[in-house]
Amino acid sequence: MENRPSAVVRIAGIVALAVMPALLVAHHGTNISYDRSKQWTAKAVVTEFKYVNPHAQLYFDVTDDPAHKGHYSGELLPNPAQLLRNGWTRKKSTAALFSGVKITVTIAPSRAGGDTVLVLKIVDEKGEELLGGGPNAGGPEGPARGATP
Amino acid sequence: MKPGSAQEATMKNWITWFVTVLLVVMATSSGRSQGPGPAGAGGQGAAGGRGRQAGPGYLKLFDSNMPFNPRDLAGIWTPNSNGFGGGGRCRDCGDRGYSMEFPDFTPAGQRAFDQNIPSYGRAKDSDDAKAHPEEHIGRRRAQPPALGNDGYGQCNPMGMPRAVLYPDPVEFIVLPDRIYTHFEWGYGLRTVWMDGRKLPKADEIDFPRWWGYATGHWEGNTLVVESTGYDERTWVDYFGYPHSDEMVLEERYTRVNYDTLELKMTLTDPKYYRKPWMGETKRMHLLPKDFIKQSGWASLLEDLCAPANENEFNRQIRDPAGTGKPAQGR
Repeated sequence: MENRPSAVVRIAGIVALAVMPALLVAHHGTNISYDRSKQWTAKAVVTEFKYVNPHAQLYFDVTDDPAHKGHYSGELLPNPAQLLRNGWTRKKSTAALFSGVKITVTIAPSRAGGDTVLVLKIVDEKGEELLGGGPNAGGPEGPARGATP
Repeated sequence: MKPGSAQEATMKNWITWFVTVLLVVMATSSGRSQGPGPAGAGGQGAAGGRGRQAGPGYLKLFDSNMPFNPRDLAGIWTPNSNGFGGGGRCRDCGDRGYSMEFPDFTPAGQRAFDQNIPSYGRAKDSDDAKAHPEEHIGRRRAQPPALGNDGYGQCNPMGMPRAVLYPDPVEFIVLPDRIYTHFEWGYGLRTVWMDGRKLPKADEIDFPRWWGYATGHWEGNTLVVESTGYDERTWVDYFGYPHSDEMVLEERYTRVNYDTLELKMTLTDPKYYRKPWMGETKRMHLLPKDFIKQSGWASLLEDLCAPANENEFNRQIRDPAGTGKPAQGR
């Protein structure tokens, strides 16, 4: 007990932890439709991928995870321009995400519920991230004009 | 607590841990705020006429101190820390808002402001929004796009000054009697007439335009653009500030060094604002002509808002995400 941090240090810790989320989220746009605090990861099978404006879209099935089993419609934050800048051309992207390919996907669910999600990360069976650049590729204000970048 | 005691050592360890975590988090957040830059990108901001320095947050593609013609604005300019591709704002370029100054609305302006429901900024009624009372409510009232009424969600033209606030390139195309500004995001084209014609008064304009009526002239080495006659359905910026059909916008563009173009704006709209509203100073940086390439083809991307794409996205993604209801026809 003697080695426990003092009250001051514990309060400092609480303040630090309270401040962290604000630092992490900063400004946001489209993100407000989704709840990043409830994100989850599951294995999935791609049913369709669209490399289009205003945002690329990924449709997939989760079959093995009882908690998340179902069909989902996913919005990717990067638009084609951002994907292009990060080296993910249309041909490269669609070749990697054809119907039937197995992936591991991390998503943030809609705050309103339902099966529409924000796709944060896609990893293929080799463990390589697809459409890299991350969920914040291009900056913190996830593309979001009314819903688009 | 005795100096050098185990208790003091433990406390120091805790403090060190928290400080380290905070610094890492802040560094991560800051880095993401600027977006990932390509190798060699960089720059601490050096606003004004001095050359920009290398460091995080900027593409550094030119020597800012190279000689230049201050009246030559032809070329592709961008506020994007990555050059293009949306989302990234370089550190000295401002954000997607017109101004950090609180507007002074007339009653009609306040009503128009209240009717606009943007999706940018901090989420309405969120803890995040409540934690920033220093910001005008316009930056703290965002709602999911499905519940908003941003006209650009239906691909309506953005107009000005909103178009110049998006963090993507704008190409200045200079002809003898006019300057076109071609915005990559939305693929919008605006004409600034430099042929000496007089800008009509707002009440002389029979038919407003999405991109308004604009004239330009030089004051020293500053290009002064005055415009009016905008369609009221456009927003001043991404946070849904309104303007009336009486808005007169003054833009003052000054090339402050080889690769930095500075923009200062003043919005005058007596129907909606009690006094002229000054914009936040914006800066754009020059891109090489061949910086943006697609299939080896150098040009602005055709990043237009096509209703065919937008309507499908709204139906399949935007509306279900905002309402929780299944997409129609899925």
